[in-house]
Amino acid sequence: MIRARDIVKEYVDGDGTKVRVLDGMSLDVQDGDFVAVVGPSGSGKSTLLHLLGGLDVHYQGEVEVGGVKLRGLDDKALARFRNTHVGFVFQSFHLIPNLSALENVLLPSHFGPAREDARKRAEAMLERVGLGAKKDRAPVRLSGGERQRVAIARALFGGPRLLLCDEPTGNLDAATGDGVIQLFKELHREGLTVLAVTHEERMSAAARRVLRLKEGRLVEERADLHLATRGAP
Amino acid sequence: MRLDALSRLVRLSLARERKGAFFSAFGVAMGVGALVFFLGLGLGVGRVIREKIFPTDARLVDVVPSAVSLGSLLGGGKLDAATVERLAALPGVEAAWRKMNVRVPAVSRYDGAFFGTRLRMGMEVLAVGVEPGLVKDDVKLGEFRDMGEGQPIPALVSTRLLELYNKTFAPARKLPQLSANMIVGFVMPVEFNRSYVAASSGGPTRSAQAQVVGASDRAMLAGLTIPLETAVRINREAGVDADTFTGVTLVAKDPSQVPALIDAVKGMGLEIDDQERRMAENTGAAVALVTSALALLSILICILAAVNIAHALSASVRARAKEIGVMQAVGASRADVRGIVLAEAAVVGLAGGAAGTAAALLLAFGVNRLASTYLPSFPFKPDSFFSFPWPVVLGGVVLGLFAALAGAYFPARRAAATDPARTLAG
Ligand SMILES: Nc1ncnc2c1ncn2[C@@H]1O[C@H](COP(=O)(O)OP(=O)(O)OP(=O)(O)O)[C@@H](O)[C@H]1O
Ligand SMILES: [Mg+2]
Repeated sequence: MIRARDIVKEYVDGDGTKVRVLDGMSLDVQDGDFVAVVGPSGSGKSTLLHLLGGLDVHYQGEVEVGGVKLRGLDDKALARFRNTHVGFVFQSFHLIPNLSALENVLLPSHFGPAREDARKRAEAMLERVGLGAKKDRAPVRLSGGERQRVAIARALFGGPRLLLCDEPTGNLDAATGDGVIQLFKELHREGLTVLAVTHEERMSAAARRVLRLKEGRLVEERADLHLATRGAP
Repeated sequence: MRLDALSRLVRLSLARERKGAFFSAFGVAMGVGALVFFLGLGLGVGRVIREKIFPTDARLVDVVPSAVSLGSLLGGGKLDAATVERLAALPGVEAAWRKMNVRVPAVSRYDGAFFGTRLRMGMEVLAVGVEPGLVKDDVKLGEFRDMGEGQPIPALVSTRLLELYNKTFAPARKLPQLSANMIVGFVMPVEFNRSYVAASSGGPTRSAQAQVVGASDRAMLAGLTIPLETAVRINREAGVDADTFTGVTLVAKDPSQVPALIDAVKGMGLEIDDQERRMAENTGAAVALVTSALALLSILICILAAVNIAHALSASVRARAKEIGVMQAVGASRADVRGIVLAEAAVVGLAGGAAGTAAALLLAFGVNRLASTYLPSFPFKPDSFFSFPWPVVLGGVVLGLFAALAGAYFPARRAAATDPARTLAG
């Protein structure tokens, strides 16, 4: 599902010095895997997610996601890739406040091809995350956990095979976070590939594989032994 | 990006930024409204000048003999039959209509019924003979030709004279208002070779009847316009010059040929009577100048409106950076983002342009109503002081759109350049 090779990512600091965040990093993620990426704050976890998801194009190296080589896609093709191949879930949900839950889930449909069943599909996605009854609520009238579920439904709308999650439980209390982790487990069981950046012990415990971002590279921290029998391409 | 999706997103953000959008549109409406109003006023006043006060036909060139010139010494300055033939043969001339003044004085003494009242007056009369072709469209009664000795002379009066009579002469003397149609058929006595103010040149006085057959823009202002042959006959009978013409009106095939024609005529040692044309042009130029100044001011307002939109949109784009980042994350391209911002501005601009144009039309309507009720009647007072040809109306709306898009240019670029990785982190 993911193949990244020799990724180098540098930021130019305020004083003009270059800061190398990713330094020759490589990553392989099998189809249908559930991977947690851990690492201290500022180690480059979000940076990694953004360039895997085609939100950031300023890096060296090769990234291939779901069979699509990201290098060389123009802006339009890259937007299309984000619309259909990946779903993002963020720590602070990033729902649009004056849209109802359903309309938030429908947001990706505005940037894809017209589809008759868009509304039905959005309702089904909300149903899937357990919010069918609250589809017309504005985000302010939803709890944190519910908001994150709406965000997950939005990420699922385009039918991606890969979810990229940046601290999805970071803004949730323990109990609510557990619910969301449970949802990721279910989605993974249904065949979705999940890559989640996390500080949360329970989240990484739920994953089959844990990688640590250290000095700009990923090192295997724990690999689930069942994986070899399950995720082969 | 699909149009239905775009319109949904635009509606969404306009609904949220209702206040800002309203003030942006209001600014555009002010500029566009002022521009449309002043242009309409300028065009309207210009039209009154062109059509009512100095109705000049762009194809007409009035040739007169040179007053004092070398030409007359060489025999070239006179308008005799041969010269007229040469004029008619100039390139670009479609028709040449001769004119001859009645060269003896004339008076009219009227004592009788006058459209419902009684009129007693005597006055000096000027008369000019013209060819029927020049005025044929304005003749409403009978034929415009010499009817012979003892028959009524067909006479045209000036439409402007009628206007002056109605607005200044008649009210002061409690005389009835007259329309062009009413006066057709009116007969008045005219005595040729007679004057109240000067000694007659001798010879017999001849009495005749003049019958008004219509009103014409091409008739002389202060006098009667009669058939050319009649003027020739009267002059001949009085023993004065009946061979040279007072003027020739050339009709050019096309207005663009007029300047060349004027040069050719001057080359023949003749002069052009362009008093009226020049007056019309001068007045028209003054109106155009004032209109341009006001239009410039209005365009300045439009520019300010565009700057205002740039300001408002910049702030809105900055405030929405996260939202734009989310859209990019779920599949918006940079072009999509730019399109959304531009479309928002386009809606604001179109709404402002349409509202401004509508307000200008409404205001013009109101001004016309007030003018017709509260302004006293004066000569050439028009029914409308405005003229709104469709390009002005459409142009107002388009200008609103254009100003808004111009204002949105940089904010849209900035929005498209949003770095989602930065706005979404954390
Ligand atoms: N736009 C940017 N310009 C300059 N430096 C940046 C930029 N974005 C991130 N960085 C730097 O790159 C490094 C990695 O940032 P990143 O957000 O990927 O860290 P992270 O691992 O996600 O941290 P956290 O756990 O706090 O979210 C940090 O040192 C950060 O300061
Ligand atoms: Mg981060």
